Amino acid sequence: MFDFDATLPLMAVQFLLLTALLNAVFYKPLMKVLDEREDFLRSGDTGSKDKLAKAESIVQEYERQIAEARRESQSLVQKAQAEAKEITATKVAAAQQEVQSQREAATQEIEQQKASAFATLEQQVDSLSRQILEKILDPELIK
Amino acid sequence: MEILGDLTFLNIYTLAELEVGEHFLWKIGNFTIHGQVFLNSWIVIGLLVIASLAATRNIQKVPRGIQNFMEFVLEFIRDLVRNQIGEKEYRDWVPFIGTLFLFIFVSNWSGALVPWKLIELPAGELAAPTNDINTTVALALLTSLAYFYAGLKKKGLGYFKHYIEPTPVLLPIAILEDFTKPLSLSFRLFGNILADELVVAVLVLLVPLLIPLPVMALGLFTSAIQALVFATLAGAYIHEALEDHHD
Repeated sequence: MFDFDATLPLMAVQFLLLTALLNAVFYKPLMKVLDEREDFLRSGDTGSKDKLAKAESIVQEYERQIAEARRESQSLVQKAQAEAKEITATKVAAAQQEVQSQREAATQEIEQQKASAFATLEQQVDSLSRQILEKILDPELIK
Repeated sequence: MEILGDLTFLNIYTLAELEVGEHFLWKIGNFTIHGQVFLNSWIVIGLLVIASLAATRNIQKVPRGIQNFMEFVLEFIRDLVRNQIGEKEYRDWVPFIGTLFLFIFVSNWSGALVPWKLIELPAGELAAPTNDINTTVALALLTSLAYFYAGLKKKGLGYFKHYIEPTPVLLPIAILEDFTKPLSLSFRLFGNILADELVVAVLVLLVPLLIPLPVMALGLFTSAIQALVFATLAGAYIHEALEDHHD
C-alpha cells in the first residue's frame, strides 16, 4: 500500500500543470466575468438611485404646483363670493328704496283722494241736508 | 493483502474481488510509476478541462447552462478560499486551492460512481487517483510548499520568526507542525478514500445486491467532505502563513 515511487513527483508536476491550465481556461475568464457582472450591477444600482431621486424631485415639483393652484382657486372663490355678496346687498338696498318710494307715493295719493273726497262731501253737505229736511219735514215748511 | 484476493475462491459467482497493493506498473528509465493512477487522473483532468472549456467558450453576461454551473462552482470555491484567507489576499490562491478541491472531488466521485471494474487492465484496477498514497502525498507536499511560499513571499526571511513566537519554548512543536500538516492531510484523504472503496468492495463480495447501496451513498458523502476538508485546511494553512503576528 505504501509503495512510493516516481508517481509522486510526476503527480505533483501534473497537478501544477493542471492548476496552470485551469487558471488559464477557467479561473481567470470566469473571475473576470463575475467581477464585471458585479461592477455592472453596482453601476446599475447607482443609475437607478439617480433616477429615483429625479422622480422624487419631479413629484415634489408637481405637488408644489398643485398646492399653488389650490390656493389660487380658493382665493378666486373667496373673491367671487365677496363680489356676489356685495351685488346682492346693493340690489336689496335698491329694491327696499323703491318699495319705500312707491309706498310714499301711494300714501300721498290716498291722502289726496281722501282730501278731494272730503271736499266733494263738504260741497254736497248743503244739498244733502236740504234733502234730508225735505224728507222729514213738510216741504212747505221749509220755504 | 493478497490473502483478501483468495477470498474470491469462496464465492462461486466471483461478482467482485479485492485487489489492494497491485499496480499496473509502467517503467520509465529506472523509475516505475503506477499506470492506473495516471490513466484515471487523465480522465479526471480531461473532464475538468472539457467542462471549463465548455463553460468559457462563449461567455455571456447572463450565464446559461454549463457556464452557469461552472460559475456556481467557482463562486463556491471563491467563498471557501475567501473565508479561509480573507478578503485582502484570497485572489492569488483561488486557482491553487480551487484546483485542489476540484481534482480531489472529481477523483473521489469518479472512484465512487464509475464502475471501472468493467475496463480490464493487465494488472491492478482503475480507481480514484486519490486512493493511491503517491497522489495524496504529492498534493499534501504541494500544500506545504504553497504555504511556505506564501509566508516567504509576504514576509521574507522574517517568516521564520513565527517558530520562536510568542516563545522559543514551542520551537520543537512549531517545527513538528510542518511535518504533521502534510502527513495528516495526505493520510486523511488516502485513508478515507481507500477505506470507503474497501468497505464497498467487501460488502459487494459478501452481499452483492442492494445492501452495499447505502454504503455507496455514504461513500459519495465522505468523498465530497474529504475534498472540502483538504481544500479548507490548505486554505487555513496558507492563511496562517500569511497572517501578521505583530498586530
